[in-house]
Amino acid sequence: MKQETPGATQAEHKQRAPPLPAALVSRFAAVVGEGYAISKPEQLRTYESDGLASFRVTPGVVVLPASTEEVVGCVKIAREARLPIVARGSGTGLSGGALPVPGCVLIGLSRMRKILEVDLENAFMRVQPGVINLDVSKQIGPEGWYYAPDPSSQSVCSIGGNVAENSGGAHCLKYGFTVNHVLGLQMVLHDGSVAELGGPVLDQPGYDLTGVVVGSEGLLGIVTEVTLRILRKAEATRTFFATFPSTTEAGNAVSAIIASGIVPAAIEMMDTLAIVAAKAATGVDWPEVGAALLMDVDGVADECDHTSANAIELARKAGALEIRVPKDAAERELMWKGRKSAFAAVGRIARNYLVQDGVIPRSEIARVLQEIAALGRRYGLRVANVFHAGDGNLHPLVLFDGRDPAEEKKAEEMSGEILRICLRYGGSITGEHGVGTDKAPYMAEMFSAADLETMQLVRCAFDPGGSFNPGKVFPSPRLCGDKPGLYRPHPTELSGEAWRA
Amino acid sequence: MARVTAGSIDEVQALLAQGDRTVLFVGGETAMPPGPPVDLEISTGRLNQVVEYAPADQVVTVECGVNLAQLQRELAKSGQRLALDPPHPVEATVGGIVAANSFGPLRTRYGSVRDLIIGVSILRADGTRAKGGGKVVKTVAGFDLPKLMCGSFGTLAFIATATFRVHPLPEKTVTLRARGSDPLELVRRVRALQLEPAAMIALGEGAGWDVYLRFEGFHSGVRAQREKLRELEEAEWPGHAEGAVRLRFGGLPTHAAQVAKALAPLRARLEWLPTLGLGFASCAAVEAEALHRARRELTALGGWLTGPGDWGPAPASLAVHRSVKRQLDPEELLAPGRFVV
Repeated sequence: MKQETPGATQAEHKQRAPPLPAALVSRFAAVVGEGYAISKPEQLRTYESDGLASFRVTPGVVVLPASTEEVVGCVKIAREARLPIVARGSGTGLSGGALPVPGCVLIGLSRMRKILEVDLENAFMRVQPGVINLDVSKQIGPEGWYYAPDPSSQSVCSIGGNVAENSGGAHCLKYGFTVNHVLGLQMVLHDGSVAELGGPVLDQPGYDLTGVVVGSEGLLGIVTEVTLRILRKAEATRTFFATFPSTTEAGNAVSAIIASGIVPAAIEMMDTLAIVAAKAATGVDWPEVGAALLMDVDGVADECDHTSANAIELARKAGALEIRVPKDAAERELMWKGRKSAFAAVGRIARNYLVQDGVIPRSEIARVLQEIAALGRRYGLRVANVFHAGDGNLHPLVLFDGRDPAEEKKAEEMSGEILRICLRYGGSITGEHGVGTDKAPYMAEMFSAADLETMQLVRCAFDPGGSFNPGKVFPSPRLCGDKPGLYRPHPTELSGEAWRA
Repeated sequence: MARVTAGSIDEVQALLAQGDRTVLFVGGETAMPPGPPVDLEISTGRLNQVVEYAPADQVVTVECGVNLAQLQRELAKSGQRLALDPPHPVEATVGGIVAANSFGPLRTRYGSVRDLIIGVSILRADGTRAKGGGKVVKTVAGFDLPKLMCGSFGTLAFIATATFRVHPLPEKTVTLRARGSDPLELVRRVRALQLEPAAMIALGEGAGWDVYLRFEGFHSGVRAQREKLRELEEAEWPGHAEGAVRLRFGGLPTHAAQVAKALAPLRARLEWLPTLGLGFASCAAVEAEALHRARRELTALGGWLTGPGDWGPAPASLAVHRSVKRQLDPEELLAPGRFVV
């Protein structure tokens, strides 16, 4: 995905469709209320992209429903009018999952932000999809509980968006991703019916459809309620920051720590460029060394003392230059702030950058980073690395100047090459950002035609007309049997080609 | 009815590709629901290879016929394990465990199959080979076919291989027992003290529960947690309850007492995972009328109760479950009559 710093001027991949008839907009307005059916061109502009800001498509209309019933109403109108439907949470996604389809109905769920139920004894919460990730933990924090998945954007991203993308975060190494913390869903299906999947009572007879809908990137329906598993806070967290001459020693430290039987809550790596950027953005006083690790262990206090001491020892043996242990919560917070702001911070050292989200077996980190560095030299581009080392989820940021179209093209090519390296090592093209628009062209390199067809059978089971988020995830959409179709976008549009023309 | 012990996944593929007959995939038969006879049974007993094991990455890929005990032996050589402890590990195969969503008390801390599986390769009803997930612990590329396989009882596809995240074996384990204890009270206590048991199970037969807690990990942490529950005695971890009939049930954790009351007429040995609200009732035989009565009471509480081949009331949104089945197995050849759909 591509990020631009303010003032960037490069050409955008932008597409427009003719405006929707006013009568149709009025029908939506009758469901969601005047003011919540947006069709004025200047207002639609806000919704033209998500966190993948270089792709822009104007939706036909944006509707902001306040209830499940209103979502049902909108889906039914869209169905009658044969309009594609795209759902949107906070629009922070990095893969273009909430990028509109030309002329679509964009259903924004930001008004559905009620916390519906909190049940600490049964360890669950029921929330609407527009609730902000961090607000879940804030709600139950005073009682000593929290919600585990913590994407870096957690102060702004929504639970509905997390469900769509199966979001991760730094702490999913120990605690798992969104899918491991969603117990049930309510969703509006293509025909406007409302499905209830799973719930706070576990293992209800039937298929694990909740598990399939989480991470389905908005292709199966619109989620209108989410039942979340919540956790009692750990007794203690121990954090340390270690610097290394290069990513090779840091990678070896990660391997040694994991091999010793420690399951860190998080173990994050940054290379020199990422350190420099984080320093510039947050004022952390990190030395500009080859690599740094930021690690958390949590759990029972005595165990944390043991494991953090052990991990520090292993880091030293692997060649750590310096180990810092935060003296208080504020200092710990600052260390994490440095890490979590590193993406945005890269904007301070480069005009534009592309972020990738590839995954590799963690034992290969050192070798893969060397390959990526060699690639950077070959393309003549700088690469910053800031990523979840514990689970091998890389986030290489390819830096470039968007004013130079040739350089931009090189950066795009190089990003693709990075994904191919990940695949060659047996990894994945995305660990947590999702496929969306951005990585759909690479799906066929990770999966066979039969794999993709099988996944699309699941899509057909939920949405035979392909009306939800068409063009995302699958490079070549499958038509579902002889069932009557709704919107059928042109194949080139679906593959993303049309947007880039 | 014919029964074939497949020698390879290719052979299973060839058998499925012939089409036009009903098929049942047979593993260790520890959790097989009863159902009508099929045209062909395919036994997975010889599909017992560990395909790939990378201890440094804590990831293992195995063929479906590998039994759990064999897999654990293999992993233990590198100080690791699959954090799943369903009954009958010597018989239960990996494919069967995934298909039946089998679990034991370790689910308390490590979750169920769906939380540990990261990849799967399957054969569709017509023999088409497909895969989902991957062999890295973190991937969100494509729809999550591995999760769809969990608890699908062989009705959607043949699970050829499965890839799991594995965990380090604990350095130290201690089991504590609280006799005649209220499981819910003990859960409250554990949470108040911020303890992290790896497993917690309440055993009940008639009145009252005996609750077992297992703490695992490094010595220091286990010792500290044991100290905080000083009044509890150390004990052996109890074995799984035996019985010709093993029912599964679920309800909210806070409904433990009502659930036990609803199940009391079955005169079964109850195993209840008090943090999760899941349990098993084991007995020699069960009367249909008593089963239905117990189920009615559980259902009224928002819970569920399933017997061998008896799934109880249709799930909410049955149509969606049916639709998934129809897409993946349009001719209804796979494990007919053996699941809720």
